[in-house]
Amino acid sequence: MAKFYWVLGGIAVIGLGALGYQVGSQSLGKAATEPIEVAGLDDMETLVAKAQGVSKGDPDAPITIAEFADYQCPSCGAFGLSVKPQIERLYVETGKARFVYYDFPLPSLHPHAFLASRAGRCANDQGRFWEFQNVIFRNQSTWASRSNVEDDFVDYAVQAGADEDTFEKCLKSDMHADVVSANMRLGYELGIDGTPTVLVSMGRGMARRLMSFDFESIQEVVEDLLAESATPPGN
Amino acid sequence: MSGLQAPPRNRMVIAVLSLMGLFVALYLLADSVGLIGSLVCGIGECDTVQSSKWARMGPVPVSAVGVVGYLALLGASLAGLQPAGRSSRAVGAALLALGAIALAYSAWLAYLEAFVIRAWCQWCVVSAVLVTCIFLAALPELKRLRERSDT
Repeated sequence: MAKFYWVLGGIAVIGLGALGYQVGSQSLGKAATEPIEVAGLDDMETLVAKAQGVSKGDPDAPITIAEFADYQCPSCGAFGLSVKPQIERLYVETGKARFVYYDFPLPSLHPHAFLASRAGRCANDQGRFWEFQNVIFRNQSTWASRSNVEDDFVDYAVQAGADEDTFEKCLKSDMHADVVSANMRLGYELGIDGTPTVLVSMGRGMARRLMSFDFESIQEVVEDLLAESATPPGN
Repeated sequence: MSGLQAPPRNRMVIAVLSLMGLFVALYLLADSVGLIGSLVCGIGECDTVQSSKWARMGPVPVSAVGVVGYLALLGASLAGLQPAGRSSRAVGAALLALGAIALAYSAWLAYLEAFVIRAWCQWCVVSAVLVTCIFLAALPELKRLRERSDT
């Protein structure tokens, strides 16, 4: 009988150790993977204050190009990898426009999209938003089909130059779930129903929503607006 | 010497398997209540199974039912190893009943994974294998119960 109790004790020690290790090493909490209720979003002022895009380029640039996108949507991946670099080169780097990215995950279609948006925000905390976005879009076909993507996102963040532990703590929590949820609500309020959606505006003027998101369409609208601003008043 | 029975080996086996199953169920429960970020899941799609509506019975995670079941099996088998419990009909009957209920419940969960959720969780499979072994180990109790009812 003594031998039996030794075996039982051994299993108990191993089991408790393994369980304690798992809880201890992953006690970072459950990652928020779905939109949350954020109080006050029915009020437009509160919504605008809580919804936050991630901006690139001169904040005083005359043109603002805003994109509402979902990391798991293939068209957003194509836009991020092929159209956005052209916008950056021609307009953002030249100070003519700033580019603003708003999260608009579609959880009903893309189960990892909300987490991916939060992951982007976690990377943004470390100043690696755009680098992370490139990596996550490049690997979209890999992670989009997986059931669990948290480890993939941690790998991508490291590839983007983020600190692993800090990123993982952020990802495996509910951090930024409020901002992403507010961005989604802002998109719905603006009538956005698909991704990517691109809005182009001049100063505080009304934004023009583009029906297609190829570079030529965006270029046409931007050039129009730039030409309008260059025309002296009265002409 | 009073003819003290030797501790039944099958109950030792049930105790060992129940303790192993208890830790599997505790691990799944820790995931259900958010104590760990995500399950280690090399084979299958644990998150799909754990996040399905079938992973809960109302507000209670299925893993909590597993914890209770394994604790009951562990308790019954340990009681059946004590000198006073070795010849107890109640312990034998309890082990048989618990083993059969656990096997039926486990089979139902395996059916859900295979045909409804269409995803497997490796830890649920491990638990199903343990439960099957526990049931098989409990079968000698049937013989003991019959022998005692004949005498």
